[in-house]
Amino acid sequence: MSTRDKDELGFLSKPVTRRQVLQGAAAVGAAAALGSTAAACGSSSESTSSASPSSSAAAGAPVMGGHLRVAAGQGSAKEDLDAHATAYTMQSMDMRFNLYDSLLEYSNEGVLGMALAESMEPNADGTQYTVKLKPDVVFHDGSPVNADAVVFSFERIMDPKNPGLAAAQLRGLTPGGTKKLDDLTVQFNLEEANAIFPEALATYSAAVVPVGYDPKGGEGVVGTGPFKLAAPGDFQPGVQCVMARNDSYWREGGGAYVDQLSIIEFADTTAQMNALLGGAVDYVNMIPGAQRQIATDAGNKLLEAKTGSWIPFTMNVQVKPFDDVRVRQAFRLIVDRPQMIAQGADGLQWLGNDMYAPFDPGYNKDLPQRAQDLEQAKSLLKQAGQEGMTVKLVTSTSVSNNAPAAATVFAQQAQGAGITVKVDNVTGDVFWGDQYLKWGFAMDNWGTRGYLAQTGMGTMPGSLYDETHWAEGNSKYMDLVKEAYKTVDDAARNDLINQASTIEYNEGGYIVYAFDNQVDAMAANVMGMVADFSGLGSAASNARYRLAYFA
Amino acid sequence: MPPLLKLLLIRLGLGILTLFLVSVVVFFATQALPGDAAKAILGKDSADKVRYEALRKELGLDRPVVSQYTGWLGDVVRGNLGNSLVGGGAKVTELLKQRVINSAILVSLAALFSIPISILIGAFSAVWRDSKFDNAMNITNLSLAALPEFVIGIVLVLIFATTVFNWFPSVSNVDSRAPLSGQMDLFILPVVTLILAVIPYVSRMLRASTIEVLESEYVMMARLKGLKESRVLWHHALPNAIVPTIQVIAINIAWLAGGIVTVEYLFGFPGIGSALVDAVANRDMPVVQALVLLIAAVYVVLNLIADILTILISPRLRTGLR
Repeated sequence: MSTRDKDELGFLSKPVTRRQVLQGAAAVGAAAALGSTAAACGSSSESTSSASPSSSAAAGAPVMGGHLRVAAGQGSAKEDLDAHATAYTMQSMDMRFNLYDSLLEYSNEGVLGMALAESMEPNADGTQYTVKLKPDVVFHDGSPVNADAVVFSFERIMDPKNPGLAAAQLRGLTPGGTKKLDDLTVQFNLEEANAIFPEALATYSAAVVPVGYDPKGGEGVVGTGPFKLAAPGDFQPGVQCVMARNDSYWREGGGAYVDQLSIIEFADTTAQMNALLGGAVDYVNMIPGAQRQIATDAGNKLLEAKTGSWIPFTMNVQVKPFDDVRVRQAFRLIVDRPQMIAQGADGLQWLGNDMYAPFDPGYNKDLPQRAQDLEQAKSLLKQAGQEGMTVKLVTSTSVSNNAPAAATVFAQQAQGAGITVKVDNVTGDVFWGDQYLKWGFAMDNWGTRGYLAQTGMGTMPGSLYDETHWAEGNSKYMDLVKEAYKTVDDAARNDLINQASTIEYNEGGYIVYAFDNQVDAMAANVMGMVADFSGLGSAASNARYRLAYFA
Repeated sequence: MPPLLKLLLIRLGLGILTLFLVSVVVFFATQALPGDAAKAILGKDSADKVRYEALRKELGLDRPVVSQYTGWLGDVVRGNLGNSLVGGGAKVTELLKQRVINSAILVSLAALFSIPISILIGAFSAVWRDSKFDNAMNITNLSLAALPEFVIGIVLVLIFATTVFNWFPSVSNVDSRAPLSGQMDLFILPVVTLILAVIPYVSRMLRASTIEVLESEYVMMARLKGLKESRVLWHHALPNAIVPTIQVIAINIAWLAGGIVTVEYLFGFPGIGSALVDAVANRDMPVVQALVLLIAAVYVVLNLIADILTILISPRLRTGLR
């Protein structure tokens, strides 16, 4: 899935100087406690001097060298290192984060900032964005990152015959819309106003690649990332990807510490953990909740991240009885969210309040946390004439490993409101088949995104994955969202988002009972990893492996 | 033409026919699965009809089913196994070469150790029937046979790689870029797991048939002639007792070649079993076909070898050919 989130204030202003915050060992250990995230203690800003082996080995000072071996799950021959293609596996994303950079990027806390761009200026109505590039940045092959490369990259993404994954998010941009002004300045001309264009520029699939870029397997993989592919054979889909440090990395004092990074793939989570316990790898991505204890008992550390990805129950308003808002409200009141998190997800989630995009600056944090209220639910169902109803809930492990368990917990909780929920656990082929987006009551999975980006994917009429079809009947909501798309002023846009999401909180078709946490495990001597909000393939997603060093 | 050669040729011809039928069955079985490669690749994204149709076209899935099959068959006859439908569309041969080598080494090592060990255990259990050795072997074999191989593997990992001792690598992520000779330690635990999975069947089979032969009249005759017991066992009894065991050995090795997915998963071993599971999940027809044909070919060839060995070893069959 495409993903990535957060909308932000930073993009109008000058480039954010990004001080990387290194997490001390103690903080990582403490992260075993649920919810601690991105703790910034023992911080030390990176400096080039730390690159020198002679620098004093003060406590926490990063050390150069070593080979970081990462055990990643669910490898598949589907993997592809093309910077602009859809990443069909988490591992593809993980690898691409290390190999490429985009013009903008998110911090680990979800704040938008500059990456390859030095600055970005929108025009007043959000139809034109002018980007100045950082000077003296080079690709892995030594060629310069200039306006030509940026124009080539975005024309490649917008290629009508084979559009890149980011094309849909770069709303308003058309082939030919990217113009070179001078060697380091590029202008994006949009056909329609798009206030969240900068968010799209920060997605990993909007990466900048050199002119003529056309990778095949491990051939021709050239980017600007902190790691590079030393030889085409170092990428073996479904097996491993071995990368070497990029010594000419552009980020000031921000290059990788380790000499080599291997992302090794495992089909089985037990094997991943065995690899860590046996010392065959140093780091394990996304461990199941049940393995936390095993990892720490053997002296390993955990890194836990609160992410914005979510597994909602979806109520399709085109299917009775979900056309009745009282039924939707009743269903939301049936859920005992803490119990759902404890029993359905091993505690690896944090509370949701029936709205998505929790990291969006426009997210309404003031609304009361919705909790179970069976009396109120019964009364709403009675008003709707749906007492004692029976409904089918469609779920699948291909939605999420936790989805069938969550569905079962919901069915039990629904008994308290006097209704019968029949859980139908189907295979992925069936779930995503012809009935997907037509199911009456089902589930889905979504990555971390900003509010408006999410509405464009799953809520607004005509979006690709509109499971609930709720918004098309609510013109006030649609007007707010459309207005927000055109509003370049951050404060005004955030206010519109706040209003729109409040309508969804009261009437919408999603039950957003929780957001996912992700946990990584690592050997005691791995330092520097930081929890990230985006939840892509790792608790430290956005592949912050460049921050890792060995004690 | 010598009768043995004639038999060999007939069996090889039948083997090729078998492979052809397997390919037809596999092809149409993959068609019968819900979804197709485009859907498997896109997952949730197949809701995007434009991308879905474009991908189907790119993969050639919009062609009629029969022409997809004949196109593939034509390529195979010309020695081209085609390109994978997923990832960068790499050649199937390139994609699978290293995994086939890995699996071949794993199976060969397992066979190399398990066959002699099984024969020794089976033979001595028969000779010392009801002794302490025989009883111990019986209990061990029955226990091992009752455990699925992944349970054996997990226990081995716990004891020898992670929790108790740290003697061997806990995972076997063979790196194809480095010479295999430096990575043989990675094969230890998977090979031992497979050996322990194979030994019970072969050794119990051999024990039973050896006991039967040892009680036969010609063995009594040999003993009455005053031959040494060791000569009776190794020269007279065992060659006859081993005949039915050969078939069991062949089937076990073939099983190793095709059915060790659980062991590959457990050890993170890049072999053909996990590649096949992945390919089926991706509906990657060329890869599925290549692997299934390879596994079927191993079955055909091993059974053929077993039959020929059986003929060569047993005098009655050998003379019957003439």
